Amino acid sequence: MAALAAAIEADAQRSDHEPDSRVRRELAAEASADADACLAHEPQAAACLYGRAIALGLNARAHPTRANELLNGMLDALTRAESADSGYDEAGPARVRALVLLRAPGWPLGPGDAEAGLAAARRAVLLRPLYPPNLLALAEALAKTGDVRGAAEIYARARQAALALPASADREEWLREADQGLAHSGQR
Amino acid sequence: MTTLLAASLATLVFCAPGYPGGAGDAQPLVDDFAHAAIAAAGWPPGSLAAVYDPTEEGGLEKLRSADAVLAFVPYPFYVEHAARLHLTPLVQADVADIGVQQRWTLVAKAGRVSDPASMAGYTILSVAGYAPDFVRHNALDGWALPADVKIEPTGQVLSALRRVSTGEPVAALLDQAQTAALPSLPFAKELNTVRQSPQLPVALIVVVDSRVAAGRARALQAGLLKMGHAPGSTDTLGALRLRGFVLPTLPSPAAAR
Repeated sequence: MAALAAAIEADAQRSDHEPDSRVRRELAAEASADADACLAHEPQAAACLYGRAIALGLNARAHPTRANELLNGMLDALTRAESADSGYDEAGPARVRALVLLRAPGWPLGPGDAEAGLAAARRAVLLRPLYPPNLLALAEALAKTGDVRGAAEIYARARQAALALPASADREEWLREADQGLAHSGQR
Repeated sequence: MTTLLAASLATLVFCAPGYPGGAGDAQPLVDDFAHAAIAAAGWPPGSLAAVYDPTEEGGLEKLRSADAVLAFVPYPFYVEHAARLHLTPLVQADVADIGVQQRWTLVAKAGRVSDPASMAGYTILSVAGYAPDFVRHNALDGWALPADVKIEPTGQVLSALRRVSTGEPVAALLDQAQTAALPSLPFAKELNTVRQSPQLPVALIVVVDSRVAAGRARALQAGLLKMGHAPGSTDTLGALRLRGFVLPTLPSPAAAR
């Protein structure tokens, strides 16, 4: 189960940086197959439900004409993953839900809902307050709902939280995102 | 040589303020559209690039560039900027699930707004809020808003409707898809339709500042009108939620005011 979850995560990371739409479709199909295999073993496991959600997200990006249906499926899977283990992947179910709600097309074209995204981001921060991606999601939600000052404060907290961690590629990415957010809110 | 160079620099700017879609996600779709359009028009391969911008400012910035010869814009954008940018309609879009025209609907808290005067101090929120002339003179034709009414853009229509439902001095101006979805909202009974616009175009492809020679523009227009009927182009159009194009039929200035 852990290996399948890791494979889905690896597909997601590759897809994020993959410019070729054909390769993105292949990665999405691969992630879907891994999620199916995981759920066949452990239908109620947070790791498998979360993996299913991530796979659906990759498919939504790869098949834009079906994005709405796929994103709604993704939100359903995240709800179930959060019920099974809200702390999985550093409060991943609530954090990813927040990002989907913040970035998806809004009503009536899609499930996007900035206020619901803010509530989900707050849940993620409540569960894992020092994990930079949770703070970055909360800052993005505050910015999107019009609280520019609040967003700047949380971007600064995300930066501090990232700096407290050992150097890594992820940390550099979080710092870059925090700096961009601060620049956008006129704080740097 | 000069002709070839000029042809290769032509760009079609897609600009859709207030609607979802990031430039990165949309770029492959508009690239496909540009390829299909020039194939249908018989323009040389590679002679038209396309670029997407989801913001009004970004779209205007791109349209200032001399290579921006064509634009795909929502009708509110056209109303707001046609005169200044010298936009000449080439074709009118036939949009999936909507058609070539749509009505805009003003929605307020039930029982609060009965006539224009009762909107004093209100703010109108809309995806078309960046185009106040369109809101005042097209969407709300014949409904003379008080001078203190503010018109503001929003991409968060659901949040705007929640504010309307709680009784804030806010009204929402909805496009046809949004209006059709209103009954699905749990607080729909708190909302009231106040005013509906006449049928108005949804979106247009326009020539910018006469930057396309008349003959090439005619060829492109003929090609675009064929799209949607030709095998192979429906997938390209479908990815952009389009069914095809028709000749433009715009409301007369007198009718719009």
